[in-house]
Amino acid sequence: MYLALFFMPWMLMYALSTMLMNHGPVFRKPPQFAVEREQTYTAAFPPDAGPRQMAQQVLSDLGMDGAHGVGKPGPGGRLTINRLDPVAPRRITYTPADGKLIVERQLFRAPALLERLHRRRGFQQPYLIDDAWGLSVDLVIAAMVLWLASGLWMWWELRITRRLGALSIATGLALFGFFLLTI
Amino acid sequence: MTFNRFNRRLHLYLGALLLLWFFVYAISSAPFAHPRWFEPSSDSEPLWVTRFDRPYELAVPGGADLKAIGAQIVRDAGLNGSFGVYQPNQKQINLYFPNFLKPVRVTYFIDQKRLHTEDRRFRWPQFLQSVHARGGYERDSLLDDAWAVLVDLNCIGLLVWIASGLYMWWKTPGVRGWGWLALAAGWGLFALFLFAG
Repeated sequence: MYLALFFMPWMLMYALSTMLMNHGPVFRKPPQFAVEREQTYTAAFPPDAGPRQMAQQVLSDLGMDGAHGVGKPGPGGRLTINRLDPVAPRRITYTPADGKLIVERQLFRAPALLERLHRRRGFQQPYLIDDAWGLSVDLVIAAMVLWLASGLWMWWELRITRRLGALSIATGLALFGFFLLTI
Repeated sequence: MTFNRFNRRLHLYLGALLLLWFFVYAISSAPFAHPRWFEPSSDSEPLWVTRFDRPYELAVPGGADLKAIGAQIVRDAGLNGSFGVYQPNQKQINLYFPNFLKPVRVTYFIDQKRLHTEDRRFRWPQFLQSVHARGGYERDSLLDDAWAVLVDLNCIGLLVWIASGLYMWWKTPGVRGWGWLALAAGWGLFALFLFAG
């Protein structure tokens, strides 16, 4: 019971986000950005620096260090960094040719927030907060398996519910099996 | 039957009905959370096995209806079943036939005038991920829509589970204090993850 109360926000988020993702075309919209700041910026990258290292340096200089994604530099060495954040993701575009840097904030939409949380992974970026999130997801997985095992045990202990419970389990198994073999 | 009793029975039977889905959603989250743990070893057999690779030509005018083009390829290849189609670049069209046990993918190389069809070997991580990720009402298939309805029912089931669980906790006075603490700690940690990301 206490475990379920503790992990309630995670389960709520997974239930709502799954429903939204199941109705993707209704809720999924292209992200919209608003310019947050525009400034001049000159970075001196090491000659052999890859996009990842360049992005790290830009974010560090801006005081925005954290989980991010970056692609290959575009024309003129333009670097586009996606600073991953569940609530307020940002897009940072640095154009070395004219020394211009633009920080854009993704406009908030609740469905997008839920989908970002659903897809958030840990253990892929060198940041403690992301690994801690990954660990919390692992614990949710373990908790779900534990709830199923303890739920089965509680059901078996309640003699009065055995027959209808068995029917519910059999119906679920049959439905799942049917779809497994047909789609 | 009192509401309290109804609530307990609802919690139990709903859990029993959706038991397998919850189990599969739980364990299938592991390959998503730890993809490296589930990567095949370098000496394992390739995931995709060629079924056939043959010359093929189909005009693909710019702005053509991809679904119609895909349907034509499916007919010409002698395949059947619901499929998805997309064009990653000007040189190829990709089709996929989602299936929990035996998915198929087809690649039409426009510039090479070649059709390549592959079957996926059964592997547990890919199987679990395909069950986990499947959903949506976009395919023209009654069975796929029925699966999407079940995904919705699972979400509603989870919400009902949460609500009925909260009610059971509230109706058990001896556990209220520790319950409040667990709730507050959970929401506090969740908020930290939200705003410290």
